Amino acid sequence: MAAASPSVFLLMVNGQVESAQFPEYDDLYCKYCFVYGQDWAPTAGLEEGISQITSKSQDVRRVLVWNFPIDVTFKSTNPYGWPQIVLSVYGPDVFGNDVVRGYGAVHVPFSPGRHKRTIPMFVPESTSKLQKFTSWFMGRRPEYTDPKVVAQGEGREASKDAVSSVYSLPRPMPTDPV
Amino acid sequence: MNSREEKIKIITEEFTENEEEAAVGSRKKNPKGQRQPRKKRSSAAGPQEMVSEKSHLGSQQEPGQEEPETGLLSVPARRGPHSLPPIPAASRTGFAEFSMRERMREKLQAARSKAESALLQEIPTPRPRRLRSPKERELETGFGTEPDKEVQSIQQKDDVQSYSRAKFRASVQKIKSQPQAPPGFPSAEEAYNFFTFNFDPEPEESEEKPKGKARGGTSQEEEEGKEEEPPVQGASKMDEEELLSGKDAEDFLLGLDHVADDFVAIRPADYESVHVWLQKEKEILFIPSRLTVPTYKKLPENVQPRFLEDEGLYIGARPEVAPTNQNIMENRLLVQEPERRWFGDDGRILALPSPLRPFPSRLPSTREPSTKAELETLYTKAVKYVHSSKHMIGSGDPPGSFQLDIDISGLIFTHHPCFSREHVLGSKLAQLYDQYLARQQRNKAKFLTDKLQALRNAVQTSLNPETPQQSLDTNQKTINEYKSEIRQTRKLRDAEQEKDRNLLKTIIKVWKEMKSLREFQRFTNTPLKLVLRKEKVDQKADEEAYEAEIQTEIKELLEEHTEEYEEKMEEYRASYQQWKAWKKAQRAKKKKKKEAAEEHPAEETEEPPPGEDPVKPVPPEPTDPGELERRVRERAAHCRRRPGEPMLLPELSLAGSVTPNEQCPRVEVLRREDVRRRWVYLKVLFNNKEVSRTVSRQLSADFQVHFGQIFNLQIFNWPESLTLQVYETIGHSSTTLLAEVFLPIPETTVVTGRAPMEEVEFSSNQHVTLDHEGVGSGVPFSFEADGSNQLTLMTSGKVSHSVAWALGENGIPLVPPLSQQNIGFRSALKRADAISSIGTSGLTDMKKLAKWAAESKLDPNDPNNAPLMQLISVATSGESYVPEFFRLEQLQQEFNFVSDEELSRSKRFRLLCLRSQEVPEFRNYKQVPVYDREIMEKIFQDYEKRLRDRNVIETKDHIDTHRAIVAKYLQQVRESVINRFLLAKHHFLLTDLVVEEEVPNISILGLSLFKLAEQKRPLRPRRKGRKKVTAQNLSDGDIKLLVNIVRAYDIPVRKPPASKFQQPSRSSRAFSEKRVASPSAHSPAHSPDHALSQVLVRPFVEVSFQRTICHTTTAEGPNPSWNEELDLPFRAPNGDYSSASLQSVKDDVFINIFDEVLYDVSEDDRERGSGIHTRIERHWLGCVKIPFSTIYFQARIDGTFKIDIPPVLLGYSKERNMILERGFDSVRSLSEGSYITLFITIEPQLVPGESVREKFESQEDEKLLQATEKFQAECALKFLNRQCLTTVIDMSGKTVFVTRYLKPLNPPKELLNAYPNNPQATAALVARYVSLIPFLPDTVSFAGICDLWSTSDQFLDLLAGDEEEHAVLLCNYFLFLGKKAWLVMGNAIPEGPTAYVLTWEQNHYLIWNPCSGHFYGQFDTFCPLKSVGCLIGPDNIWFNIQQYDSPLRINFDVTKPKLWKSFFSRSLPYPGLSSVQPEELIYQRTDKAAAAELQDRIEKILKEKIMDWRPRHLTRWNRYCTSTLRHFLPLLERSQGEDIEDDHRAELLKQLGDYRFSGFPLHMPYSEVKPLIEAVYSTGVHNIDVPNVEFALAVYIHPYPKNVLSVWIYVASLIRNR
Repeated sequence: MAAASPSVFLLMVNGQVESAQFPEYDDLYCKYCFVYGQDWAPTAGLEEGISQITSKSQDVRRVLVWNFPIDVTFKSTNPYGWPQIVLSVYGPDVFGNDVVRGYGAVHVPFSPGRHKRTIPMFVPESTSKLQKFTSWFMGRRPEYTDPKVVAQGEGREASKDAVSSVYSLPRPMPTDPV
Repeated sequence: MNSREEKIKIITEEFTENEEEAAVGSRKKNPKGQRQPRKKRSSAAGPQEMVSEKSHLGSQQEPGQEEPETGLLSVPARRGPHSLPPIPAASRTGFAEFSMRERMREKLQAARSKAESALLQEIPTPRPRRLRSPKERELETGFGTEPDKEVQSIQQKDDVQSYSRAKFRASVQKIKSQPQAPPGFPSAEEAYNFFTFNFDPEPEESEEKPKGKARGGTSQEEEEGKEEEPPVQGASKMDEEELLSGKDAEDFLLGLDHVADDFVAIRPADYESVHVWLQKEKEILFIPSRLTVPTYKKLPENVQPRFLEDEGLYIGARPEVAPTNQNIMENRLLVQEPERRWFGDDGRILALPSPLRPFPSRLPSTREPSTKAELETLYTKAVKYVHSSKHMIGSGDPPGSFQLDIDISGLIFTHHPCFSREHVLGSKLAQLYDQYLARQQRNKAKFLTDKLQALRNAVQTSLNPETPQQSLDTNQKTINEYKSEIRQTRKLRDAEQEKDRNLLKTIIKVWKEMKSLREFQRFTNTPLKLVLRKEKVDQKADEEAYEAEIQTEIKELLEEHTEEYEEKMEEYRASYQQWKAWKKAQRAKKKKKKEAAEEHPAEETEEPPPGEDPVKPVPPEPTDPGELERRVRERAAHCRRRPGEPMLLPELSLAGSVTPNEQCPRVEVLRREDVRRRWVYLKVLFNNKEVSRTVSRQLSADFQVHFGQIFNLQIFNWPESLTLQVYETIGHSSTTLLAEVFLPIPETTVVTGRAPMEEVEFSSNQHVTLDHEGVGSGVPFSFEADGSNQLTLMTSGKVSHSVAWALGENGIPLVPPLSQQNIGFRSALKRADAISSIGTSGLTDMKKLAKWAAESKLDPNDPNNAPLMQLISVATSGESYVPEFFRLEQLQQEFNFVSDEELSRSKRFRLLCLRSQEVPEFRNYKQVPVYDREIMEKIFQDYEKRLRDRNVIETKDHIDTHRAIVAKYLQQVRESVINRFLLAKHHFLLTDLVVEEEVPNISILGLSLFKLAEQKRPLRPRRKGRKKVTAQNLSDGDIKLLVNIVRAYDIPVRKPPASKFQQPSRSSRAFSEKRVASPSAHSPAHSPDHALSQVLVRPFVEVSFQRTICHTTTAEGPNPSWNEELDLPFRAPNGDYSSASLQSVKDDVFINIFDEVLYDVSEDDRERGSGIHTRIERHWLGCVKIPFSTIYFQARIDGTFKIDIPPVLLGYSKERNMILERGFDSVRSLSEGSYITLFITIEPQLVPGESVREKFESQEDEKLLQATEKFQAECALKFLNRQCLTTVIDMSGKTVFVTRYLKPLNPPKELLNAYPNNPQATAALVARYVSLIPFLPDTVSFAGICDLWSTSDQFLDLLAGDEEEHAVLLCNYFLFLGKKAWLVMGNAIPEGPTAYVLTWEQNHYLIWNPCSGHFYGQFDTFCPLKSVGCLIGPDNIWFNIQQYDSPLRINFDVTKPKLWKSFFSRSLPYPGLSSVQPEELIYQRTDKAAAAELQDRIEKILKEKIMDWRPRHLTRWNRYCTSTLRHFLPLLERSQGEDIEDDHRAELLKQLGDYRFSGFPLHMPYSEVKPLIEAVYSTGVHNIDVPNVEFALAVYIHPYPKNVLSVWIYVASLIRNR
């Protein structure tokens, strides 16, 4: 490669957030975004997106199907900080407030090819019972200041209690052009 | 039901769906609909196309396939011509409707369709009968599942229609049996028939396939069909596809499909099956095979694999790797890195023989019992923190303190006066037993026996003729050597054995004596008990061995003796010969003598003396074997165990019982009591000085004392001597020194934990006679009843101890440096060396060992040699040694793919490292290049430069070195604190991560409930809070700085231009009507000026921020009112609007006030009539500077600010009269000046970032710290915004209670002496002195957060500090002056949170600004202090709990608990905290000469700068004026810039009457040159471009004690009036 332009490698991710299983909730939508290291830069495609609202399927599986496409290309010089896809799922609660139903993150697969990932989702817990009640009552559940924290190790010890509840299935598919 | 039937069912069901499912149904029908137009087309296109169509139909079921041009609505197009009647009753009515829409269009095509229909009728017939190909079936089953599910769900829904469905199904059956429907019969059957054949495979597929291909893959399913074909055809396929599109175009032309364009084509998503994907992935991806790679591939060509094992070399076992993995790896390596040599000679991947490291990564825990002891938690007393002065300037290296640990574990007396006879024997026995044990352990006899055996064997083998490897000579020589060695060894062995035996005998003898003594005295004193264990031996074998030994010995001796005999014989023979010869000669001589005697009697004397006559040698006696044997046997019997005699193993135990006191005779009881009264302690003497002593311990009955104490001696020098003194106390009487023990000073390598316990013996020569059973000391006594065999024993004993060097925190032994040792040589091993840690204490020459190992060609891989090799590698490398710690990355070395040097040379690695360390230059470095060559060398240049400069003090920018050092030091402090912050930044709290609603407390809840009940008052205006914006989603241009300039007070007014005729203005200003008078005072000569300067002043305000400049309109008069709002855009650095970045914005908002002056420049009076030619000049009057960070943190700034106006503004004067007129009180007049009212805010409002929390370590009492936290929490609860300060961080980063900073401290003497009778003036002077210390914010990264507080002496040393330091120093001075003074923590404008000083004068409070030296009365409206949070005194803190916090409205009486909440109260009394301040401040007088020199240098620099700033113009210096100005500056200093103006002006006028003047003196504390330059630049004096302008610049530096310099710069421009 020419010395003028620094050599990079590209990581193409395409896939979709297929479906989710949230047994307790309905009418959810999801957001995705990518968290990547300092040496990474998106070159094409959308780094983040917000899906349509979907309802549960009426069959026994009761899945929430989004089939929400992801298509992004990164360039990088360093595998450190490999992109992670961060998903956060939101939906209305009893009072119609949009509250977060789950956070989850997964690394974009390292090997090219088709992969299917199942991400366990979780939400931060209220610090106390009383707070849990008030947050339910006021419709303002505890949520992360930035969904991207779920992709980072830093400071996670501070978040007190995270409940693992449900999952979603994205299907990113990276190809690594030579 | 087979799959086919099922499919049929699906279709029928779809027809029975109700309305909303019509869409679904129609979608399902698509394939069919797709087919129809094709059919129609096929008539036109020919039979070939027909066939391809059929190939479609075969796989039509797949949901993902459809041609784009497929028109859904073309379905009825076929139906129309068929004139099918409406669908049967069971089917959908919607369907008919659907088709109706198309009717019109269909009719247009009717004619063509007719022809097609005829064709269609023929085709269906054969189809149902056709057998389906297996592939077809497969496809169907593949999709069978999904429809199945649908069916289920549909069934659930549509139970109602089950009947009709059943009926339908019946008809299906019918059709099946009778496929041929009657033509033209429009029935459900026919419709159904139509659907069914849809799913049939084309009959001619196999034959037609090539053709279909030739036609091209019209759709994806076609492609899929081809997928099974070899991929070679891929290329041609592409071409065909193009062909096909041509065909499609043709189709289009036929006009059949354009109808579809009018409608939305609904098609399923593209789908590619997994097989296709796998196929594609196979093309892209490389998956190494799992098959074994043949060896020849792995080796270079024509090379045979070579197996080292076969060649006899030792090869370690390889680690276990699954063969599959190995194969995959090999295949991968072969393809991906063929050029690298990954394979060894044997064709296998290179691998380490064993993944184990040569030495352990954890300490071997050999000492089982001690491991537990190591795990025990030890309490160590807290060590007082010694103030680390590593950063402090001036102080050199602290004298290192070293530590010697002396562990005294105990004392045992080997003799003591109180010993009874039994004790004497007992201790003897114990000693003997110890000796025995020691000998047993060494087992020298055994060792020597073995050696003997080995030597004998060696002799045997070398005598063996089959090993002729060496020459006979050497062989013989070695044998001889061996033999002599055997002899030596045997002798030694015999001696040892004899000793052993004797020892044993003695032990037994002593024990017998003891037993008899015990019997005799009928009590036992010692628990000692000797048990002799007999070990049976096999008599026969023993005897044989014994005999064999004797025999060999005899044989050897015999041999030896024969040798000896032969030697002697030889000798004898030689001497005999000699003797014979001599005899002969003698005889001959005699003969001759006889003859000679007759001839020469005198020669008699020549005869040798008779004594020298050689004696006739005696022939040696041959050895008698019998005699020899007898001797050997005797010796053996003497020193060796007799054969068959059991081996005796003595065992000394303390199992015996001591007779209790009651059963003992009186003397013995007395003795025991005496023992009990004795106490012993030890003194430790270091360099003959007592440093410590052990506790006094009672002497136990067995004469042992246990101390178990460790003394840590903190020493500075190499010790000269270490002595222990043993003291004994008897009862309550005096203590006696028993003995002195000299301890050796340990080697430097002996460190704590590694030093063995040693015993040192001592003895004393004291004579003690006792009147009881005790034997006394130094007194003869006897065991025998008759008193014979007397024995004299001295008091003696052993001290067990260990002395070692302590280990420092980082494992470095605290040993004084070698230079301090006066003992000759010391090994250069400062560190604990490897070998001693292994266990050998002496230094063996490892190099020699390694050399030997290399020479002897040891196989280094052989496990047998492993320990040796390890030892050698450890010793020779010197770096690695058996660690004393556990390593996680124990395989680090194996994973180091490149050497460390190579790694450190890598620029990329370095960059990555630096980035992860968050080095400022690289913290946000993005996209580190992949290759080293892409990394520019210059990236590191700045960083390296900074590193270099860290230690180099640059004197270029700084005038004197002291300031340079201070700057450097501050830089270092800052860096260290920044690093601390960086760490803290990675520490998160829950609130940083999770947004959570706070639980509403009762008051808020109640308040909100109350609000619900509140009356609605719609007309009452409500203030709406501005929406706060979180910073991240902002971009450039979103943020604006709004500056509202309201008005200004007391702007200086112009003075009329100087004129010789005019009287000094002083008189005129004395009158109150000056305002009126001054214009009239103009002389007519200056009428043009006069005309323009009707007004006193025309001020306008210019606000500059981030290089954007806005200004207001020009107002008039000294009290102008602008009321204008200025918008200034705000740009965050690098477009980063995160709060961290915003906090660090260092820009200032400059608000400059100018006077706009118009000058008439008309040259000619004639022009005046026709035009106006004026020049606008702006004269700087003053400025206000507000840092952005203040605005950011305060959200808004609203208030009246004092304008920073130079003390003398030439050409301007203050209108003092106005003030008088307004009648301000006297306090007011103290703080006179010009003021401007401003309102500044940021739009939109930004959320200020959180301050960095960090808990710093502290030496404060834990209780106090808790109290501070509680206090602060309580205060924050009451008044969140009021500053409450209890603890601060000192220069070394420790938390210190704030009152410790306050303490009376002496100001410089000169200041006190200046006004001895005027305390007010003294106070002002002191304040001025404090204000002259340069201000330098020590906030590290952002304003107001985490100040470091330096003590006053540090502050004066550094000569830099911010508000707190100034305030603390000023407060301390005031306390010294006897004032009541407090530190006020509060908010001021424009500083924000700051510290002021409050003093109580006779009847009022004064508020002092420590940075400016100004003071204000409590009720001064212009006081910059706007709110008071808390007061801090030397012994307490008071928090303001009054309703208001403005100093105007509060009461400063801290004794009122309702108004001030005090920290120390009755419940928590003041504990009397010691101050961190020094006892006294010492001031050096500043060198006047240096100040003068500095003055000259600054003047020179400034002049050069001014010339630099005027590159296009000539800069002339008016020397006369300069000297005048220079003359004035000291006056200004003396009067502190007040009341001098008038004289000054008068003087200037007198001297420079015909010049027009513009200039002013600047005054500032001196820190560096740069701020001075900035200040001069900001006045804009150099901007004048009038051609004949001249400049004057004078600098004056007034030195105050402690190098505090007051700098005056007078800068002026002069224009000659004409």
